[in-house]
Amino acid sequence: MLQHDLTPQLSVIVPVGERYADLREIFDEYKTGLTAAGMTWEMIFVLDGPHAECEAKLKQLAACGERITVVGLTRSFGESTALMAGFEQSRAEFIATLPAYHQIDGNEINTLVVGLSSADLCVGRRWPRRETWSSGLRRVAFHRLAAWVTGMPLRDLGCSARVMRRRVLEEIALYGDQHRFLALLADRQGFRVREIDLRQSPKDNFKGGYRVREYAHRVLDIFTVFFLVRFTKKPLRFFGMVGVSTFVIGLILVLIMTGQRLIFHQPLADRPALLLSSLLMVLGLQVFALGLLGELIIFTHAKNLKDYQVERIIEFETFPTPGGGGSSSGLQIGSLVDSAQPDS
Amino acid sequence: MLEDPRLSIIVPFFNEEESIRPLYAAIVAAISQLQVTFEMVFVDDGSADGTVRIATELARSDSRVRVVKFRRNYGQTPAMAAGIEHARGEILVTMDGDLQNDPADIGLFLEKMNEGFDIVVGWRHDRKDKLISRKIPSRIANRLIGKVTGVPIMDNGCSLKAYRAALIKEIPLYSEMHRFIPAMASIAGPRIAEIKVRHHARQFGKSKYGLSRVYRVLLDLMVIKTVTSFTARPLLWFSLLSMPLLFLGTAALVYTLVSSEPISLPVAGSGVVLMASAFIMVSAGAFGELVYKLGDMRDYHFSRLTQRVSGPHSASQTRNS
Repeated sequence: MLQHDLTPQLSVIVPVGERYADLREIFDEYKTGLTAAGMTWEMIFVLDGPHAECEAKLKQLAACGERITVVGLTRSFGESTALMAGFEQSRAEFIATLPAYHQIDGNEINTLVVGLSSADLCVGRRWPRRETWSSGLRRVAFHRLAAWVTGMPLRDLGCSARVMRRRVLEEIALYGDQHRFLALLADRQGFRVREIDLRQSPKDNFKGGYRVREYAHRVLDIFTVFFLVRFTKKPLRFFGMVGVSTFVIGLILVLIMTGQRLIFHQPLADRPALLLSSLLMVLGLQVFALGLLGELIIFTHAKNLKDYQVERIIEFETFPTPGGGGSSSGLQIGSLVDSAQPDS
Repeated sequence: MLEDPRLSIIVPFFNEEESIRPLYAAIVAAISQLQVTFEMVFVDDGSADGTVRIATELARSDSRVRVVKFRRNYGQTPAMAAGIEHARGEILVTMDGDLQNDPADIGLFLEKMNEGFDIVVGWRHDRKDKLISRKIPSRIANRLIGKVTGVPIMDNGCSLKAYRAALIKEIPLYSEMHRFIPAMASIAGPRIAEIKVRHHARQFGKSKYGLSRVYRVLLDLMVIKTVTSFTARPLLWFSLLSMPLLFLGTAALVYTLVSSEPISLPVAGSGVVLMASAFIMVSAGAFGELVYKLGDMRDYHFSRLTQRVSGPHSASQTRNS
């Protein structure tokens, strides 16, 4: 089973971005956890931008004979791109992503991996949580909003600890800030997603929640994702709705004013509402036109955009036997999805 | 490998565990009289009940049954599209999984296809559904669809349809287009026939559709119109849309300039706004030209699907390439 030894069972991707802890410490913690999980593994560090200090530390680790791969990106591309760069180097059937700072207890990796037996993607949720009541309140409010907009009740979008089957990342090419919403995107692709409670690392020292600007970014992200998952296949549903309602409001205003002009002889000239209404009508048309353009884009690329994911094709080819009763001796030729389970 | 069958019956199922066996039996009984080789493609649209289990049993006992299982529920159009993609026959027949269509009608479809039609659609002329919530809206929708798309079909909603595989496999189907497949296929200019079919009242389960579709159907219709008749000429289409704006705007501005009265703010303002928006619409059309150019839809791909070539070199390559 030489081949088996060469290809690890789990590839761990650690993107190193703006926020990172002592990588040696991190590595040791994860290593302990991974060893406890009893899998063969490899670890891939992706340096998102020039982190000379981190690079030096990783070189030391490699010199000590640790099995790590380091991918250095020339500038900061963002965590999603870093993850994809790491994924490209990975070889294992199961992929884990872990933060380069203390978030979860390293020993909890096993809990995540075990969760894969009934899911394609397991995302961590730090629970119970140590936090002040105000940041807790903000966190809950934010996640409620996210759940309401996206229709998927995830409770810790900030947790970067995830474990997944390889084909999840093969099908979902992340970009921008989408890594936060991997669970949502995977769910839309028809993967089974589980959120698993993990013990928070005692060193998770991120204080005071996010600043306002951060929250604004996150909320915009939510709407981006919402648009991506709900309307990419039917832009006119969205633009059409906005466009038609804007147009109708404008039209009603115009009709009211025309009525007032004709019946009550109220002069139109000094009514700003006239400009407003014509602007609304025109805006409605424009938005509608945008939707049509979107549909045009979808249509011209429809061959490359698949709407659905086939889990498997079930077919049996029976070779007729002379007795005529050979229907039960079927030979399965369907491409059944692998049922590989992690060691647990 | 067995040879590819001539006929593929495509049936999407969504939570139809009671219907699937009777339907299977009815299909087999109906087609065994026709003397054609056939297969059944059952598409499971993420059913939560025993549909997959029963379908798998059927597939195990009858090699003509293949089951395409979705990861989750995607809806009727993707189910049809997947069935069409995985079917191997030359002629594809689609039908509903709820026993409302009668497989005994398939013979009629086959006859029509043999006459040289590319698409044969069923017409539930004696429909067994609720009048107010189903039949009347559907009648209005069908008239409208016929008017707008120029494919006058009495009953777009009937799932029982037959297609030439070489044609339908090239037609993009997405979102909720299954109601508009003949209209969508009109980009290839197919020969379409319509025949009356039987329709049964629903035996098991509940109908999965309601009145809320009206708004979506209207928008989809707009989309179909845009993509089928104007894909190759977006500039023209958007220019047409901007015509009223342009006309009104010009009229308002001309009136302002020519009129001897003092300049009227509402008229002049509206004129400028209308002209500007017409200009933006035309720009959108120009943008559409760019989109079309970068995409991979070309009219000649579709014309090739239905063309008939005659001449000394035409050989047999008239259809399937």
